[in-house]
Amino acid sequence: MLTTGTAKRTTLIMAALVAGTTTLSGCGSSSASSSSKVLTLWHYEAADSAMGLAWSQAIKDFSAAHPGVTVKVENKTFEQLQKTAPMVLNSSTAPDILEYNKGDATAGLLSKQGLLTDLTPQVAKYGWDKKLSPNIAVTSRYSNGVMGSGDWYGIPDYAEYAMVYYNVDLFNKYHVPVPKTFADFTAAMDTFVHNGVTPLADAGAEYPAQQYLYDLALTKADPAWVTGYQISGKGDFHGAAWTYAANTLADWVKKGYIAKNSVSLKATDMGSAFESGKSPMMVSGSWWYGTFESEIKSFAWDTFLWPGSSLVPGSGGNLWVVPSKSGNKQLAYDFINTTLQKDVQDLIANKGAVPVAADPADVTDPKAKKLIQNYNALAASNGLAYYPDWPSPGFYDTLTAATQDLINGKNPDSVLGSLQTSYQQGLNQ
Amino acid sequence: MTVAGTAGPAQAAPPDIAARDARRRRGRRRERGYPLYLIPGAALFLAVIAVPFGMNVWISLNRWQGVGPMTWTGLANYRRLFADSVFWSSFWHNVLLVVAMAVVPTALGLVIAAALFDYLGKKFGPRTASVIRACIYLPQVMPLAVMGVVWGWILAPEGGALNSALRDVGLASLAHDWLGDPKTALYSVMAVLVWIQIGFPLVVFMAGLQRIDPALYEAAELDGASWARRFRHVTVPQIRPEFYVVLLMCTIAALKAFAPIYVLTRGGPGFSTDIPSYFSYQNFFEKTQVGYGAATATVLAVITLIITAVFITVQFRHQDEEG
Amino acid sequence: MSVYTARLARSRPQGRRGRGYPVLAGFVLLALLMLAPFALVAMNALKTSADYAAHGPLAWPRSLSLDNLKTFWNLVDFSHVLLNSALISGAVAILAVLLSILNAYALGIGRVRGRTWIIVAFLIANLLPQEGLVYPLYYLAKQVGLYDTRTAVVIIFTVIQSAFGTYLLSSVLGAFPREILEAARIDGAGTWRILWRVVVPVSRPTLMVLLTFFFIWTWNEFLLPLVFLVSNQNQTVPVALGVAQGEHIVDVTMQAASGLLGILPAVAFFLVFQRTLTRGVTVGAVK
Repeated sequence: MLTTGTAKRTTLIMAALVAGTTTLSGCGSSSASSSSKVLTLWHYEAADSAMGLAWSQAIKDFSAAHPGVTVKVENKTFEQLQKTAPMVLNSSTAPDILEYNKGDATAGLLSKQGLLTDLTPQVAKYGWDKKLSPNIAVTSRYSNGVMGSGDWYGIPDYAEYAMVYYNVDLFNKYHVPVPKTFADFTAAMDTFVHNGVTPLADAGAEYPAQQYLYDLALTKADPAWVTGYQISGKGDFHGAAWTYAANTLADWVKKGYIAKNSVSLKATDMGSAFESGKSPMMVSGSWWYGTFESEIKSFAWDTFLWPGSSLVPGSGGNLWVVPSKSGNKQLAYDFINTTLQKDVQDLIANKGAVPVAADPADVTDPKAKKLIQNYNALAASNGLAYYPDWPSPGFYDTLTAATQDLINGKNPDSVLGSLQTSYQQGLNQ
Repeated sequence: MTVAGTAGPAQAAPPDIAARDARRRRGRRRERGYPLYLIPGAALFLAVIAVPFGMNVWISLNRWQGVGPMTWTGLANYRRLFADSVFWSSFWHNVLLVVAMAVVPTALGLVIAAALFDYLGKKFGPRTASVIRACIYLPQVMPLAVMGVVWGWILAPEGGALNSALRDVGLASLAHDWLGDPKTALYSVMAVLVWIQIGFPLVVFMAGLQRIDPALYEAAELDGASWARRFRHVTVPQIRPEFYVVLLMCTIAALKAFAPIYVLTRGGPGFSTDIPSYFSYQNFFEKTQVGYGAATATVLAVITLIITAVFITVQFRHQDEEG
Repeated sequence: MSVYTARLARSRPQGRRGRGYPVLAGFVLLALLMLAPFALVAMNALKTSADYAAHGPLAWPRSLSLDNLKTFWNLVDFSHVLLNSALISGAVAILAVLLSILNAYALGIGRVRGRTWIIVAFLIANLLPQEGLVYPLYYLAKQVGLYDTRTAVVIIFTVIQSAFGTYLLSSVLGAFPREILEAARIDGAGTWRILWRVVVPVSRPTLMVLLTFFFIWTWNEFLLPLVFLVSNQNQTVPVALGVAQGEHIVDVTMQAASGLLGILPAVAFFLVFQRTLTRGVTVGAVK
């Protein structure tokens, strides 16, 4: 009896093996389409986000203008592209055009290794530099992997910046006027604290807390300071701006402006705290705008710029880059141009994101109009100061840990000291 | 194949020498066939593990950003690693993790397996035991990203399920910022890890318990042994092979795993839940310091290897002693 | 049978169970606690985003909505992704068990010389941090033309999982009753036949355990599929689940929905194989 059972099982297993392996090797091959009739496009924006919708429109416009060309869109997950971009772009699986992160650690690194096509000739040909303000262009140009100057390697069609989202209903309930100066801002927060409400939603485990820190530092900074910190490697954590920022943040936690137990929260929790009406204010990027538009139904909300500062965290958005191994470079250039056209830019604006080259007059929704106007003013005055973790790769984790220490009551001077050490180390890599 | 012992030499050798020769022949014959079975495993191992690990060691002797040319730095990465305080202080956290992912789940798993198999299974039927086993194993199946989010909901300081439950029961003073307070963060993570890990020993032990001759249990029961005594004198000795294996695998998992830490606390607050494997991962993918990351991975591999080798030597010596 | 023993016989079953009820209650409570987080996931998967935004994760859904599940399914073409995961996990499970059997036979029963070191060597496959293997394997796969194929992933995981299988199986086979082997040898069976006709059937419970584990572990693997399976048509479930995690924004209800859809197949697999685990072959029968 054992004989037949085992023999049968063995045959079954062998059959399964053979079948399985053949199927696998058959359908497992990657398909890199370099046919001139198919443009392979990768991006990682949600389909119903402003960018997702705008880019669907761009694809429609592009297909109309290029009959016979199909656009093959692959929705990637951000995490996957982040980790595998260098490997993918170095292989035959590379797409023709893709969305990629701006910054030295990402686009800069790839440009240094020659994996991205130099777009400078196209910029001149299509006139893209006329649509992108210099502040935005900083993240598009890299020389030897450092942003700010050199050849063009990526083109953004949207931008982002940080602002204060506020709950209009809660402000009215406690008779708090919209702050125009920094003093107004702290007074408003005092009123909320007196009424037992935590004024600022925060998340210590991810980027929001360090952006508060950066916002505070920027109130004592100027564009030269930003360039020194971000690009020239001259950042000084013991300088006036950062010292003020660390001490003020610690102070704010003591005063209750920021909840101490926000230290372990993630960005989504911060969003939830605002959306559920728990905290009347949240300082973060324009990427929340669309989400709030679709999810907040229970109260009125609006935005204002961080009072008393001409600089805020912000930059050009993610870039369209063309891999050097792209098989359809001309089509890719045409597509980039399509995204910068008026109808796509207006669509971005109307869906609650910040387009790089739109006229506020074309925007219908008043909140969105304000969003674009604020952005244009900032871009014109070089008010976009990028993000605090950009100077070196991996600085993000150090900043997160340091901000958590600050919120948990550690001495600001020692925190600043460790930040300076990390900053120097990162630059020397 | 001739049966051992019958084909002796033509000269009549003394019986004990003939027996010894026959045993030797048997031993050699036995050895001859078996090493061949190792060939497929060895070949694949070479291609998929040995060669890439060798390449990893090569990378660790360079400075590299993952793409483009490598710059030879010799042992510089290792020198930097040995001086890196963040790396070494995170090793202590790893020890605690081993407790949470290996020691506690193995011990608890064995007790629960014995209870389910020997006690509940007998009283309420094997199906009850199976259902409960399935429920306890389920956390092993949950994708880690989702698990991080859910435990974030449970352990959240303000509206989290745990704190709310404590407040409802009147124990509000016990409510904590579990993941935000550096003093409690690591222990909270350890608790979650036990929740995740306990199903694995349970399933392995329950399968192993089926292997044990039921006659042993019946004999013990007839002698009037309680469940606890049966556990100590029948279950524990018999389940030793599985016990070693489970303990070692859980220890290795504890030394390697960083994903639960990543999704729960990102190594924070401060660096209070950072562990060496997360440190390694960060260097590879977030800091693009692949050479340094490779050095970290090599050092980690060597340490784990030493622990494993010691463990297995001890285990096999035990088993060989028992015969 | 006397009246006394008859009464005893009647009362004994209830008496035996009586003390077991508190233990059962304890275990049921434990089981529920283990399941509670899953309930949370399911609850939030069926909420609308606005509901979650207004009431948070712990509130019951105001209205049950399958929107998130449907959106996620279509967005990543989940049926295809499920197929990828099933193919890869299934192939790895079977192949790794086979490889483990071959290795463990030589090590556990054959007692090949130096087996301690051989086992340790095989275990290296399992204890290496996977990050260390990513770049080398990527390079090797590219050379062989297997980058971005499911075959490469299957081969790699077969080796990694079989390390554990080799270790467990050789430990268990080390304690294999010699009498059975001797009996089979006396019957004239060679090493090959002994393996498939004697050792494998007797070890079935352990083999089924290995099969189940390998399937589930491979199903949940994240890093290597993330790196190797870049084209959308090749992706596996854990990689596809990342779609709800954007750069800055996480769509939480979508993440819960994706999590729910990701858990269900592995749960189903485990429940199916659970029954085989209980059946198994006991050593007693051999006697």
